[in-house]
Amino acid sequence: MPSIANPHFVLRRLHSLLGVVPVGAFLAFHLWENSQSRLGAEHFNTEVVGALAGLNYLPFIEIFLIALPLAFHAVYGLAIIGGGRAEPLRYGYLRNRLYWLQRLSGLGLVAFILLHVGMTRIAGLMDPAIHADLFGHMRGALSSPWVFGLYLVGLWLAVLHFANGLATAAISWGLTTSADAQRRFGWVCAGVGLLLGAIGTHGLVGYLVAPSGAGA
Amino acid sequence: MSGRRVIVVGGGLGGLWATLAIAAGGHRVLLFSLFEVMRSHSVCAQGGINAVLDGKGQHDTVEQHIRDTLKGGSWLANQPPVKSLCEAAPGLIRTFERMGVTFSRTPEGLLDQRLFGGVQHKRTCFAGASTGQQLMHGVDQQVRRLEADGAVQKLEWWEFLALAKDADGTCRGIVAMDLRSLEVQSFRADAVVLATGGLGQLYAPQTTCSTNSTGAAASRAYQQGARFANAEFFQFHPTAMLGEDKTRLMSEAARGEGGRVWVPRDPADRREPGRIPEAERWYFLEDWYPAYGNTVPRDIASRAIWRVCRELGQGIGGGDRVYLDLTHLDRGFVESRLGAILSIYRKFAGTDPLDAPMEIFPAAHYAMGGLWVDFEHDPATGGVAPGSPRNHATSIPGLYACGECDYGYHGANRLGANSLLSASYSGRVAGEAVLSHLAGIERGADSLAAAPFDAEVARQQAINRELMAAERGENPFALHEELGALMTSRVGVVRDNASLDRAIDALAELERRAAHMALGEASPWANQTLAHARQVQDMIRLARVMAVSARARDECRGAHYKPEFDLPLPEGRQEGPDWAHYRERWRANNERWLKTTVAEHTLDGPRIDFEPVDLSVLAPDQPRDYR
Amino acid sequence: MNSVRRAVRLAFEAAGSSGAGTTSSAVVGPEPGTRVAPSSTPERRTVELRIRRQDAPDTAPYWQRFRVAAKPGDNIVSVLRALRLDPVTTDGERVDPVAFEHNCMEEVCGACAMLIDGSPRPSCSTLLAELGDVIRLEPLPKFPVVRDLMVDRARLFAGLQRVQAWVRLDGPWVTHERAPRISQRQWAADYRYSRCMSCGICLAACPQFPDSAGDGRGFIGPSALAQVRLLNAHPLGRYDKTARLHAIMAEGGLTDCGNAQNCVRVCPKEIPLTTAIGELGRQTTLQALKDLFGG
Ligand SMILES: Cc1cc2nc3c(=O)[nH]c(=O)nc-3n(C[C@H](O)[C@H](O)[C@H](O)COP(=O)(O)OP(=O)(O)OC[C@H]3O[C@@H](n4cnc5c(N)ncnc54)[C@H](O)[C@@H]3O)c2cc1C
Ligand code: HEM
Ligand code: HEM
Ligand code: SF4
Ligand code: F3S
Ligand code: FES
Repeated sequence: MPSIANPHFVLRRLHSLLGVVPVGAFLAFHLWENSQSRLGAEHFNTEVVGALAGLNYLPFIEIFLIALPLAFHAVYGLAIIGGGRAEPLRYGYLRNRLYWLQRLSGLGLVAFILLHVGMTRIAGLMDPAIHADLFGHMRGALSSPWVFGLYLVGLWLAVLHFANGLATAAISWGLTTSADAQRRFGWVCAGVGLLLGAIGTHGLVGYLVAPSGAGA
Repeated sequence: MSGRRVIVVGGGLGGLWATLAIAAGGHRVLLFSLFEVMRSHSVCAQGGINAVLDGKGQHDTVEQHIRDTLKGGSWLANQPPVKSLCEAAPGLIRTFERMGVTFSRTPEGLLDQRLFGGVQHKRTCFAGASTGQQLMHGVDQQVRRLEADGAVQKLEWWEFLALAKDADGTCRGIVAMDLRSLEVQSFRADAVVLATGGLGQLYAPQTTCSTNSTGAAASRAYQQGARFANAEFFQFHPTAMLGEDKTRLMSEAARGEGGRVWVPRDPADRREPGRIPEAERWYFLEDWYPAYGNTVPRDIASRAIWRVCRELGQGIGGGDRVYLDLTHLDRGFVESRLGAILSIYRKFAGTDPLDAPMEIFPAAHYAMGGLWVDFEHDPATGGVAPGSPRNHATSIPGLYACGECDYGYHGANRLGANSLLSASYSGRVAGEAVLSHLAGIERGADSLAAAPFDAEVARQQAINRELMAAERGENPFALHEELGALMTSRVGVVRDNASLDRAIDALAELERRAAHMALGEASPWANQTLAHARQVQDMIRLARVMAVSARARDECRGAHYKPEFDLPLPEGRQEGPDWAHYRERWRANNERWLKTTVAEHTLDGPRIDFEPVDLSVLAPDQPRDYR
Repeated sequence: MNSVRRAVRLAFEAAGSSGAGTTSSAVVGPEPGTRVAPSSTPERRTVELRIRRQDAPDTAPYWQRFRVAAKPGDNIVSVLRALRLDPVTTDGERVDPVAFEHNCMEEVCGACAMLIDGSPRPSCSTLLAELGDVIRLEPLPKFPVVRDLMVDRARLFAGLQRVQAWVRLDGPWVTHERAPRISQRQWAADYRYSRCMSCGICLAACPQFPDSAGDGRGFIGPSALAQVRLLNAHPLGRYDKTARLHAIMAEGGLTDCGNAQNCVRVCPKEIPLTTAIGELGRQTTLQALKDLFGG
């Protein structure tokens, strides 16, 4: 069983798989979750954050379904980026530009996620007050145009990376084979990306415009 | 590997087949080629490969294939090899098939076949219009597997320069030059097979051949004593694209699939071809040869086009070109069967043959002549004796030749799609002959003294040194152009003795000039000018063999046409007193000329001899009449 | 048009101006019966070639400029051939002829690939008419330069060995069984892959194909993958499908493709490389499952 015994294939496919589930799935869920910021602090802090916080085995889920897969995907992704040599100008084809953007967004995401998780989850661990009113915390942070800009960029990088990753994963796993199928599914992924992007943007804006405080 | 070592020079279809056969016998092969073998000229072949499979309900038979080939070649080919060739064809196709060659298919999944020139049966297997490339993929992959197993070692980017012979004159290896480092080295072997291809570059740029089809390698063997046969028989393909750097072939398959050749009835007609009504077109091949129409053999079609343009002044616009028209055929059908040539035409002419007829003219294509090779007649079968060490042996012991560089199968004119067949088949036969030859060798080449090898290396190095040192002299590339123009104009489709005499003088003059060349570069690394200069010298010597052979043959036979000696066919269907008289003259002419021309190298130029043709299979009973 | 050119050339030679300065008037007389087709005088122009040259694999590259008179219908190979006759730079310096590779001049042997104005293309089928008046020529990237525009593509062929791109025959002899049947539909799909001419253009354009051979375990590139796709479909080639799949599931195999898809865009033979990659994706997925849960 050389293919299984050889870690190369397994690692590459694992990287691809983890990018879609759980990391991709988490992203979709996460953006949907954050989009509820629009419903106000009360709703967000209790119904969304609270409900999640009440989940059984939450740390287990956070570590094994989010942190480790993401860390693996990111680290192995960096190794993959090291092996390529993008020439987006010489070959101006859409797919090649996307290949380059996939790498660029991957690098951007490393920075964004480190910052972001530091500002939210890690900060929450340090300071329980933050965790108690995540809505307020986020609203505060996002009020700064710099932070808001950072999030907007990070969000769209993630969405682009995920949507394109979905399209290429379909080729890598052999779901789409003909050029037509690849093109059609590409548009579907673009749709998914736009939708997720819209949800995420809605959530970001939600923190700023939604009524704050209890009982709003 | 306990076996012996064999050198195969040339990695086209012939050389790769020989390699496979020899390696299958358990011997080690050193395979030499000017470049990666997959770039050999064989990949250019388009139309197909003949084999009687009789899959088209036309009652095709191997006997008919033999007859068509012999008659197509004006009865000049030795018959036992042709018989064996045609009999082996179906098996060869099956082997190619097993190798994974993508032959085109019928709706039932069987091999499809199409019509080619000079026959009336659909007998040509094909892979789209890139058959040569596909066959090459098949054998190249097999050889690569042997290479991975260590049975074959490729020496690509090495040029064969000379044979190395022992004291008895037996070929015991070669001297070759690394085309990068320019290092000249000898290689010992217990047998050498030359499969170095054709010589269309003697007519450059008016040729359909690759730039490496120079014939230089065959010329070198000839100069070292190998006999060269039927040099005057050189095929001009009727349908080549006009072009200044190269005249690219538009396969005979275009006509086999229904393409029609025509000119406007009025040469001054300036209209777009599509706007010229049927009544104002002249389908001269269909007119002159109603039985075969557009698929007459190549010599006939080329001469017809020549006549229309040069003698009747009926070429398009009065020039040297006629239309080859596919526009009346179903587009999807043509695309799937001829896609490869359509794309060549589109890319190089800028117009689409599906929209407007192609413009074509004859161009130098294929050498029927080549290194003389032996065969052993097997009285039991009437074909060649399988495995005989005489098969494909040249006149130098230990040296074999196969593929286009031998003269074996096509007589005075090759039928379309017969040469991929002969290149492959002859490679295999030569390989099998080598196996028998090896069995009879007592002392391996490795045990020989070094002296003859070193002497040959020294001789070749001296030639290089001299060329590299010359400061003043002829430009080899310019000399090559002159050679091409000379051969095209004087040793071409139509010949006459006065012109040939001038050609022979001119070639002698060219040879003198070629002795003093200046490379214009002294680079000791990958010096392409050096390699080319050496080739040009050997090409000129070979051209002389062709011209002298052509001068010696005072008749019209196949591709060799001297109007002065033409016996025009009488009108009508082979009966009546005119025909009886004609037959008589035809037989008398055969008495005199139905023989193989054999050239031998002497210091004063080629010495021409004739030898009888083996006619043991089918007495030449029919003049060629394709009307 | 052709005969005009030939007539012009012959007239030229008859006037004794051919060869490198030696008179040769007697060699070629005017061709008997040459007819000059009345066609409009073809437009001529002069182009400048900027060629990246390199004398040997280990020497530094440098640029030279040449001006050449281009004829209509000329392609890059034909002007490089013309340049060999008289290699003088725009500065008037006589230099070594430019080394370059070509054979078929009709885009089937794959020898002549190079970078033309920055794009990897077969130089024989790149017509001057498509290009501007200044043309940049560089050797095909990703392959070691031998000299000037000549590169060494041994890696490409080594890749074919790595993936076992062959049908494992018992021997080249004739067997007496009829050839296996293949549907027209399958033929049409397979045939496209068999048009590969090993030019290496797809490899030059592939961002994942490494710049140098390294330890020989880098990405094999799309051309070899396409051959795996082709052979895996053949009725006999199929028998070794597993071995080929395992070969491309190792380091440098299929998974190293990053789906940039330049390959399919630049391939002059329009080989559906990315379809092959998708189909192999499926085959390797199934193979992995088979390896895991099968036997
Ligand atoms: C455009 C075109 C289309 C054709 N189409 C058809 C067709 O449809 N059907 C058909 O039956 N025939 C066709 N033919 C003819 C057929 O292609 C050739 O006759 C056949 O391919 C010759 O094969 P070969 O193995 O003899 O030589 P090639 O394929 O020419 O190989 C010659 C080999 O010799 C090597 N070599 C040469 N000199 C040296 C040297 N000095 N040192 C080392 N190596 C050397 C080269 O590197 C090369 O590997 C066509 C020919 C042309 C020109
Ligand atoms: C729309 C913009 C985003 C907002 C408003 C947002 C908001 C938040 C918040 C509030 C948390 C803290 C959750 C908690 O402590 O329980 C969080 C955690 C996190 N976010 Fe985001 N996020 C956004 C985009 C992203 C993106 C694009 C990613 C990248 C994939 C991402 C990855 C994470 C991760 C990995 C965590 C830690 C989760 C955990 O361990 O529970 N976020 N985010
Ligand atoms: C954190 C930093 C990240 C880096 C450095 C990174 C890097 C990469 C790289 C290089 C690829 C291309 C792999 C290839 O083509 O071979 C890739 C693919 C992918 N990534 Fe990421 N990524 C990161 C984060 C993410 C995140 C947050 C997600 C999910 C939202 C994600 C989802 C995907 C998916 C689905 C693919 C497609 C895999 C395939 O083509 O088979 N990645 N990633
Ligand atoms: S796949 Fe296309 S680009 Fe690549 S080597 Fe083959 S023909 Fe050239
Ligand atoms: S360009 Fe290279 S990355 Fe893949 S899709 Fe083609 S092989
Ligand atoms: S010369 Fe053969 S592909 Fe260009």
